[in-house]
Amino acid sequence: MRIGVFICHCGKNIAGVVDVKELVERASKLKDVVYATDYVYLCSEPGQKEIQEKIEELELTHVVIAACSPKMHATTFARAVKGVGLNPYLLEIANIREHCSWVHHDKPEIATEKAFRLIKAAVAKVRLAEPLEPIKVPLTRKVLVIGGGIAGIRTALDIANGGFEVYLVERTPSLGGHMAQLSETFPTLDCSACILTPLMVEAAHHKNIHVITYAEVKNIKGIIGNFKVTIEKKPRYVIPEKCTGCGDCMDVCPVIVPNEFDQGLGARKAIYVPFPQAVPLVYTLDLENCLNTQKLVVCEQCYKACGPRAINYLMEPQEIEIEVGAVVIATGFDLLPIENLKEYGGGKYPDVVTGLEFERLLSASGPTGGVVRRPSDGKIPKRVVFIQCAGSRDPEHGCPYCSKICCMYTAKQALLYKHVVPDGEAYVFFIDVRAAGKRYEEFVQRVMGEERIVYLRGKVSKVFQREDKLVVWGADTISGMAVEIEADMVVLAPAVVPSKGTADLAKLLKVSVDEFGFLSEVHPKLRPVESVSPGVYLAGAAQAPKDISETAAQASAAASKVLSLLSQKEATLEPIVAHVDKELCIGCGLCWKACPFKAITMVREEKREGKKRRRYAKVEEAVCQGCGVCMAICEKKAINVAGFTYDQLSAQVKALLEDE
Amino acid sequence: MVIRKPLNLAKFKVPKGRVIVLAERCKECGLCIEYCPKQILEYSEDYNEKGFHYPVVKAGMENECIFCLFCQEICPDFAIFSEKEE
Repeated sequence: MRIGVFICHCGKNIAGVVDVKELVERASKLKDVVYATDYVYLCSEPGQKEIQEKIEELELTHVVIAACSPKMHATTFARAVKGVGLNPYLLEIANIREHCSWVHHDKPEIATEKAFRLIKAAVAKVRLAEPLEPIKVPLTRKVLVIGGGIAGIRTALDIANGGFEVYLVERTPSLGGHMAQLSETFPTLDCSACILTPLMVEAAHHKNIHVITYAEVKNIKGIIGNFKVTIEKKPRYVIPEKCTGCGDCMDVCPVIVPNEFDQGLGARKAIYVPFPQAVPLVYTLDLENCLNTQKLVVCEQCYKACGPRAINYLMEPQEIEIEVGAVVIATGFDLLPIENLKEYGGGKYPDVVTGLEFERLLSASGPTGGVVRRPSDGKIPKRVVFIQCAGSRDPEHGCPYCSKICCMYTAKQALLYKHVVPDGEAYVFFIDVRAAGKRYEEFVQRVMGEERIVYLRGKVSKVFQREDKLVVWGADTISGMAVEIEADMVVLAPAVVPSKGTADLAKLLKVSVDEFGFLSEVHPKLRPVESVSPGVYLAGAAQAPKDISETAAQASAAASKVLSLLSQKEATLEPIVAHVDKELCIGCGLCWKACPFKAITMVREEKREGKKRRRYAKVEEAVCQGCGVCMAICEKKAINVAGFTYDQLSAQVKALLEDE
Repeated sequence: MVIRKPLNLAKFKVPKGRVIVLAERCKECGLCIEYCPKQILEYSEDYNEKGFHYPVVKAGMENECIFCLFCQEICPDFAIFSEKEE
């Protein structure tokens, strides 16, 4: 056995704290270590070359690299050693940056000792390493995209244009998502629907895209390359194939309810399409508000009015099973419920509205036809106060992060308001104006300068009603004055939060979420659109608040990741999976019960002459994720995760703890 | 929680009906009053010839019938029906 140890300076990240030369000297004395060296940046091209040359020159059989976290560069170094014919599983990485130099920068001596122990432990572990080969599994060349907003549509179109089949699942009756609700988009003031509707139609008519609206993903099983998905189609009570979208049913329906698409500012009937450009243009009967129930059908006015007889009150939920090779989550965002913003009168005064509600008031296809009217009395507001960071950047509301889109959309809304109400006054309360984006700052400057909109730096403390006006109490921190504004309408920019159901979906797909519920990427810079679950990708605001341009870019990025997966012959899986030693296994079934991925089955041995057929555990390699739960629970040490065997881990721990 | 009235209500038309009660057939079971989704019916002050309070449309709600025909379907005595008003 010939082990080589390579220690990285990482510029000053490691070498600035840890005594690298000492590490080299001590490491070279370890058992089986034939060579130890240090290098300024091992991840660089010459750094990798150095490793490769030494492996060949000294005929190294095992390699230890002491550098940054394996999350960062495990694949880089694995590729490097593989390049000269060394099995990448005979490489061990000791993390002496995140686990050592970064956290112990104030105690260099102890840090050096710790770094050495980490290297020693890695050497002890790699001495017991076995070469492993990746597991190949067949690949289903179909994709599931969850969420039919701009992110989902863009991803689906890009994948479908690449020649692969896509299932695009949307929870509401129509594609479009929040983007369909917007009036104009910043900074170009393009009409949102004009950009979006052609894409919606393209997706619906694309031969490679199956659009499944008014449906939810119920269950997902399996792994990269082979997911089995159960989708529940909610009953529309309208047969989509027969519905022509004529709207005769809607005309005769006697029930009027608030339209969710218009944020309740507009009305709809109990049988409806959320908005005229809906895709697919199929009516949906909302049985909750319909006069009929599943048991009692009395009002049949829509049924009688429907020419093609498309209405069926007895429709049941329908489950469909599909198989896909990859999943893209594009479930988008919601706004923090306005009722949570009590200090601004949210949920208390009808004329305190959210940004999304104001979009509907500005939209030409909105309930007021683009005329801004107060929800309380329908009057045109002459003085509007916009409050940014309503909940965002506010730990009290559980959202310490910046929601990113509010500065821009508030500026846009103020501008559009001034265009439709030229004699109106607009005030904007802000903490900072964050306009980092192409042409964003110029846009905000234009709004502030040319449109005569008053920007007040400071927070609002209270909003309350005085007669038919809303009084806004705030502070202008630049003049240092308390401000009181009597407004006709208050527009809040509530924090952006993950959409309802994101948490359940994340659990289903074993994707991790951050403390606010947004889906986590593997690495923000190196793998920004991949989730920790292989074969599951992220697009849009479900990952973090982002605007339309960024969402579209990320959606295309996710699509390209899916395309590069699907263009391979087979899916490749990490061979870090559990193996059972049949001789040691007593067939107790503890591991079978403990396995969170249901990768273990209990089987009986083939018939043996004169002996009893023994029971033992068997691992389905393609399902096993190598979590090690089975290994921890096994009393006989009969089940081991390859690359992390019991012997390897105990050698590692022993090396860490023992003094020289 | 504030309940907002949709701003474009005027644009939405619903079918209109006119409730006709055959008072002498009524036996005051109250089903129509119970089931009317718009709650536009109430018992009459008056009695019919059998001595029952029959349903009448509440004062001021004459235009509220939406022609759903719940009352007509549910009445065991064929004593109430609605006629569509164009």
